[in-house]
Amino acid sequence: MSAHSALLTWALLAFLGLGLGVPEEDLPHPCCPVVPRREWNAPASKCSEKLKLPVRYVVVSHTAGSPCDSPASCRNQVQNVHNYHAGTLNWCDVGYNFLIGEDGLVYEGRGWDTKGDHTGMTWNPISIGISFMGNYMERSPPPRALRAAQGLLACGVAQRKLSPTYEVKGHRDVQQTLSPGDQLYEIIRTWPHYHE
Amino acid sequence: MRNARLRGLLWMLFISELQAATKPREEKYVLAAGETLNVQCPFTIWKYANSRKAWQKLMDRGEPLTLIFTQSVSGNPSQVWMGRYFLEDIPTEAILKVQMTNLQVEDSGLYRCVIYQPPKDPDILSPLVRLVVIKDPLGSTVSDKNPTENLAQISTLPPTTTKAQSTVLNSPRTVTQLLPKSTADISSPGFGVNVTNETDFTSYGFRVPVVNIVILVLCGLLSKSLVFTVLLAVTQRSLDPRAVKP
Repeated sequence: MSAHSALLTWALLAFLGLGLGVPEEDLPHPCCPVVPRREWNAPASKCSEKLKLPVRYVVVSHTAGSPCDSPASCRNQVQNVHNYHAGTLNWCDVGYNFLIGEDGLVYEGRGWDTKGDHTGMTWNPISIGISFMGNYMERSPPPRALRAAQGLLACGVAQRKLSPTYEVKGHRDVQQTLSPGDQLYEIIRTWPHYHE
Repeated sequence: MRNARLRGLLWMLFISELQAATKPREEKYVLAAGETLNVQCPFTIWKYANSRKAWQKLMDRGEPLTLIFTQSVSGNPSQVWMGRYFLEDIPTEAILKVQMTNLQVEDSGLYRCVIYQPPKDPDILSPLVRLVVIKDPLGSTVSDKNPTENLAQISTLPPTTTKAQSTVLNSPRTVTQLLPKSTADISSPGFGVNVTNETDFTSYGFRVPVVNIVILVLCGLLSKSLVFTVLLAVTQRSLDPRAVKP
């Protein structure tokens, strides 16, 4: 009986602690493994527009292209996406800030600091665009890819690139599109930072 | 018996903390009289592209006052002007833009973007906007001044503002909100609100409410802990058999 009261007191105190907010210095700095541009032989970015940090929104999309499930094939696939965006569409760089492969790795696109070209003129300046490489209408990305994406976003908060109250949106929430695909969309709607 | 009462007390306080923590996201905008407020409220495109939208002010007792609303349900961009209020609904971009020009001190208060669907209750969009309009202490229209002059004046702002920021958040970044690194970053003169700086927390010309949220939460929690302590003491005394007279 008294043990229960003690437990409750602890719970209350813990909640008080949460309310006070974890001081930023105490946040354990999570590892932020991202495959850097030079590792996938990225041509130099010609983009110059910067994002105002910290960013409040993350838009999740899919490339609707081929998936890849190994570091070698995913490196190839990122290059393909880059070729299409920078070459064919003549953009300053690959459109996404980050790409997620089914190998479970995060690939650096334009990164945290540069405005992307992923969701149109209203959302590009106010969001980070991450894209899962593949088409997720009928199938889901494997758990390791989802984990990688979640880890990336936690990284973003730790590095103060993302606001601690950032909101995740599906691409189809903010533009007329099927992206990120029915299956992936249902998954991100369960994410804690997802906000309709 | 006494433990059950104690438990009840603890649960009550626990639950009240819980409900306090789930309030909708609020953003604070601090602007000078005469300036313009610009807010962007996103909405879910597939849900609300063909819905009407409105901008409301929440009055003293929490009842909303609709200031301006859109008429169009076509799904195409539409604009409405009403005095100092301007509303632009861009369904194709899933964004609602609000503008309030020539701000007055009386405009200060809590506002919100909503999906306007009378007679149904409105659906509330994020974020809530806490607007604070400061009377211009410089005694002249702010828009006349050039940004470098304003820098010197920004540093003479009431000390309470900077103190609160530096005591609650140890990060030097928040202090530099009012002292930007380069004048080129200032998009328009103001009380440090429109200062853009790569390493600080401002964006789109408003101050991040982290400080204020922390202060609010601290105050709330402090008052609740005081109540808790008092209740605990009272309960203990009343339950203590030694204090009971035969």
